[in-house]
Amino acid sequence: MPATTPITRRKVLRGGAASSLAALGPFFHVQKARADKGEIVVASWGGSRTSAMREVMFKPFEAATGVRVRDDGPPEAAKVKAQADSGNITWDILDTDIPAILTMVKNNLLLPIDYAKLDKGKLDKIPKVLHHEYGLGHLIYGFNIVYNSKTFPTGQHPQSWTQVWDGDKFKGGRSFPFRGGISPQLEVALIADGVPIDNVYPLDIERAWKAMDRLRPLVTKWYANHAEAIQLLSRGEVDICCTVGPRGIVAKREGAPVDVEYSGGKLAPDNWALVKGGKNPDAAYEFLNFVIDGKVQAEFAKRVPYGPSSSDAFNYLSELEAKDLITSPDNLKKQFWNDITWWGAVGPDGKTNIEAQTERYAKWMVQKS
Amino acid sequence: MDGAEIVRQPAWMRQSSPPEQDRKPWRARPGLMILGAVVFLGAIYLLPMLTLIGWAFRDPKGGITIAQATRLVSEGAYHTAFITTFRTAIITTLVCALLGYPLAYLMATTSPRARTLLIAGVIIPFWTSVLARSLAWIILLGKRGIINEWLLASGLVNAPLTFLFNSLGVQIGMVHVLLPFMVLPIWAVLMRLDQALPSAARSLGASPARAFIHVVLPLSLPGLVAGCVLVFMLAIGFYITPALLGGDRDITIASLIEMMVRDLLDWPFAAMLSLSLMVSVGAVFAFGALLIGVERLTGAEGRT
Repeated sequence: MPATTPITRRKVLRGGAASSLAALGPFFHVQKARADKGEIVVASWGGSRTSAMREVMFKPFEAATGVRVRDDGPPEAAKVKAQADSGNITWDILDTDIPAILTMVKNNLLLPIDYAKLDKGKLDKIPKVLHHEYGLGHLIYGFNIVYNSKTFPTGQHPQSWTQVWDGDKFKGGRSFPFRGGISPQLEVALIADGVPIDNVYPLDIERAWKAMDRLRPLVTKWYANHAEAIQLLSRGEVDICCTVGPRGIVAKREGAPVDVEYSGGKLAPDNWALVKGGKNPDAAYEFLNFVIDGKVQAEFAKRVPYGPSSSDAFNYLSELEAKDLITSPDNLKKQFWNDITWWGAVGPDGKTNIEAQTERYAKWMVQKS
Repeated sequence: MDGAEIVRQPAWMRQSSPPEQDRKPWRARPGLMILGAVVFLGAIYLLPMLTLIGWAFRDPKGGITIAQATRLVSEGAYHTAFITTFRTAIITTLVCALLGYPLAYLMATTSPRARTLLIAGVIIPFWTSVLARSLAWIILLGKRGIINEWLLASGLVNAPLTFLFNSLGVQIGMVHVLLPFMVLPIWAVLMRLDQALPSAARSLGASPARAFIHVVLPLSLPGLVAGCVLVFMLAIGFYITPALLGGDRDITIASLIEMMVRDLLDWPFAAMLSLSLMVSVGAVFAFGALLIGVERLTGAEGRT
C-alpha cells in the first residue's frame, strides 16, 4: 500500500475484508465486514506451528473479517477443564488431537460442530473420516517408521512394521512412545504380526499385546515426548523410532540424518474443536470456514510440513513440495486412519478403549519389567 | 497448637501483673501474626489438600467411595511403581550423603578462596533447568556420547557402555540435580562447628579419624539429617529425570500421576496416588521422628 495517502486501520481492515470477501465470495457466512467484531482465542501448540498459523491464518482472517485472533495454549484437556471448573472460559477454538477431544467430550467441555454452518465445497475436499462430531481434521500427522539414515541408508531401511519388529535383520535400538502417543501403538503391533492395514480394526487386543511383548526387548528407550524421540534419533542413541512422521521430515530438512518410511503409518488428525461456553461462537465458525480452505492449508504446509487434510491443497503445491508430505496422494494410500470410533467405544467397565488400553500400557510397562 | 497456648498465657499474665506487660508488650502480638499464618496456610495448603482428599474418596454422585483405594491396593503394577519410587529415592539420598558430606567438609575446612570456588561449583548448576541438565547427560553419557567416544577411541572398551535409559542413568541424573540440597545444610552446620573441639580431641591423643568420628561427625549430624530429609522428599516426587534418563524399570509414581492427570483426566485416581505417596512419606517421617526425635529430623536442633 502506498504510504502517501493517509490510511487508517479501519480502512485497511475494510479494504482487506472487502477484497478477500470478493475473492472467497459466496462461501462466507458473513453478511458484512465490520471493523471490529470482537475477538476469538485459538489455543494451539506454540513454536513454528503457531507462527505459521499467525502468518497464513490469523492475520489474513483478521484482515478479511475484522475479528481479532489471539493465540494461547497449549490446548490440553486439563487446562480446558480447569477453565470450565473455574467458570472463566477464555478459549474459543482448540487445535488438538482426537484423544484429547474424546476426553473433553466425556467431561462435557466441547460443543458439537454444526457442519451445516461450514462451507460444503471445502468440506467435500476433506475426507469424511475427519468430520468428527466434535472436531474437524485440519492437520494430519501419523505414527510412522522414522529412522536414522546413517545407520540405514534409504533403501536399506526397515520398510514395514514387520521389519521394525525383526531385531536380527535390522540391528539397532528402537524407541517407542511411553507417554505422548495418541494411543498405545497396538495397530502397528498387529501389522507387524501380519494383519493387513485395511483390516486392523476392530483390534485383536490380546494378539497385539503379545506382539508388544516381542517388541519390548528391542526397545532401548520408551520416550516421553516426540521432540525427545527425534533428538535421540538424530544423535544416534536409537536407530528406529515409532514417532510422528512429519516431525522426522522437519528434522530431515534441518539437516539431521533422519528419514521417514510412510508404509503402514497410522494417520491421525489434529482438529479444530469448539470450546463449550466460548464467548464468540459466530466468529469461530467464520474462522473455521476461512482456515479449512485448500489454499490456506497449502500455504501452511509450505511452512510446517504436516499433512493438509484438504485434497484441494495439493493443487497449490509443487510435486517436490508434496513428496514428503504425509497426505500426498502417494503416501496416503500406504497408510490407514486411526479409528476413533473403535478407540472411543465404551466397554462394560464404563471405560473407553483408549482409557482402558492406556492404563494397561502403563501397567504393562511397570509390571512386566 | 503450641502457638495458641503461648498466646493465651501472656494475656492472662498481663491482667495479674502489669509490670510484666510493660516489659514485654510485644508478647500480645504473636496472636495476630499466627492468625495471618493460619489463614494463609488454610487457603493455600489446607483447602487444596481437602479438595485432593475429596477427589480421592468421592464418587460422581456425591457419595463416598473407596473404589480408588481398592484399585490402588489390588493392582500389582502400582505396588511395583511405589517400590521403584522409594528405591530410587533411598539410593539417591544415600549416594548424595556419601558424596555430599566430604564435599561439604572440604568446603568448610579449605582456604576461603578455594571455598568460594567450591560454593560456586555447587550453586551454579542449581540455576540451570532440570530438563537441560538431564539432556546434558545424554550428550555426555549416550551411546555416541563424549565419554563412550573417548573410551572407544582409547581402546578401553570395544562396544559402547550403557549408562543411560536404565536405573544407573536415573541415579546419575538425580544425584547431580539434588546434590546441592545435601551439601548446603551440612556445610552450614560444619561452618558453625567450634574448631577448638576437634583440636581438643587431637591434643588429648585422638587420631584424626577418631576425632572426626567422635567429635565432628556427631556434631554435624543435624545437617546431615536435614540434607537427607530434603533430598529424600524431593527425590520422591521427581519425574523429569526418570522419564528422560530412565528405562522401563524406572517408572515412578510421579510419572503415573502425570499420566492420570494429563492423558486420562482420571483426577480421582491421581488424587489417590498423590495421597498414598504423601501418607507413605509421612509414615517414613513419623518412624524417623520416633527413632531420633523431631528436632533432629527437621534439623531444628542444629539451629539452637
